[in-house]
Amino acid sequence: MRVDGLHSVFSESDDKSLLEHLESNNIEVHYHCREGYCGACRTKLNEGNVDYHIDPLAFIDDDEILPCCCKPTSDIDITLY
Amino acid sequence: MKYTTFNQESNDTMKEPMFFGSPVNVARYDQQKHPIFEKLIEKQISFFWRPEEVDVSKDRMDFQKLSDAERHIFTSNLKYQTLLDSVQGRSPNIAFLPIISIPELETWVETWSFFETIHSRSYTHILRNLFTDPSEIFDDIVVNEEIAKRATDISKYYDDLIFATQLWQTKGEGEHVVDGETHLITMRELKKKLYLCMNSVNALEAIRFYVSFACTFAFAERELMEGNSKIIRLIARDENIHLTSTQHVLNLWAKGKDDPEMAEIAAECHEEAKAIFLKAVQQEKEWAHYLFKNGSMLGLNEEILCQYVEYIANHRMAAIGMGQPFEIKSNPLPWMNNYLNSDNVQVAPQETEISSYLVGQIDSEVASDDFEAFEL
Ligand code: FES
Ligand SMILES: [Fe+2]
Ligand SMILES: [Fe+2]
Repeated sequence: MRVDGLHSVFSESDDKSLLEHLESNNIEVHYHCREGYCGACRTKLNEGNVDYHIDPLAFIDDDEILPCCCKPTSDIDITLY
Repeated sequence: MKYTTFNQESNDTMKEPMFFGSPVNVARYDQQKHPIFEKLIEKQISFFWRPEEVDVSKDRMDFQKLSDAERHIFTSNLKYQTLLDSVQGRSPNIAFLPIISIPELETWVETWSFFETIHSRSYTHILRNLFTDPSEIFDDIVVNEEIAKRATDISKYYDDLIFATQLWQTKGEGEHVVDGETHLITMRELKKKLYLCMNSVNALEAIRFYVSFACTFAFAERELMEGNSKIIRLIARDENIHLTSTQHVLNLWAKGKDDPEMAEIAAECHEEAKAIFLKAVQQEKEWAHYLFKNGSMLGLNEEILCQYVEYIANHRMAAIGMGQPFEIKSNPLPWMNNYLNSDNVQVAPQETEISSYLVGQIDSEVASDDFEAFEL
């Protein structure tokens, strides 16, 4: 996947959330609840798809995702705010 | 239009806007125009907690150890939060319920307000433990100038909307003279007042608690006032969900997914709404200044607190299409996240799991052999 233009590899067997994956690669993402209801981790999804393991309750636009409660299901390209 | 507690005309709530449609009649949730509010209700209820479950007794000893400057910081913040929750415990009900027209939003507002009353009760729980007579603290909330300044800005948009709604519901649209003053009541004006009020509430939930939260958690980083910190974490968790709800309302309007007239008003009043948010930011910074007037506390100072307010403001303004007006790009108080994270919130010491997962989990699957011993 690409984060702000940089490459990073998310392995499919990984049971981490996208947020945890970014953190373990030392990429700082803003967060509070880590449970999909606060919106602090709101991130722009430029390309690709994600799957939510927790229903996202926080407001996000059509081209945005909540990394704390999803995992990529394809190659993705994201921009952090 | 006169308010009725049970609108006898059958109406299709799926076609009603969130506000200013026909009054709600049946409290039904089988069909929802905006299902997000039902989801927020469920989430909020799963967070249920009682202040009395949190043991604050150790805080009394800690409080004696604090410097005078630190005590000023601690009690001032509690006063300010008491003001905020006093307003929030009643105002969404009084201002919004009479004009809401879909049941899931009506129930969300009631649920939201109810949790604000838990917050209010928790301040009495904290203060009773610290002071033999906490009445001096409560009495000061109404007379303290620094708090009064904020109270005016917080309550005025609610008061305006409530007054205009009362005129409209008793006299209808038109020009009405009350106590020698003329008020023009039109649907457009009412909706504008609603829009500005929602922005003011959104700014309150987004920004107004965070200086206080930061101080509380800075004490907790030094292992001081930890009972208080536990309560504030539960409050912060609730505030985050309240903020989510106001962000949804504002975005549903702005994106034309509800009342088309509200989309026009959102565009028309964009700058005014932004000014409301920026004023709340400014007032929070002034609050930080007031808190530290007698000296700062270990781990925090005015400058870094102001940066934190700007950092939070950037994120929360961006969420409602107001851009990121401040320079700051990275979190100046990263340890705050540990306290705002749901996983670390525990209600009672004996609980080792996340309260939101424990509460309300009732197994609805009953295996047939569970009944085998019963003879009917
Ligand atoms: S951290 Fe709260 S929604 Fe992702
Ligand atoms: Fe509250
Ligand atoms: Fe709140």
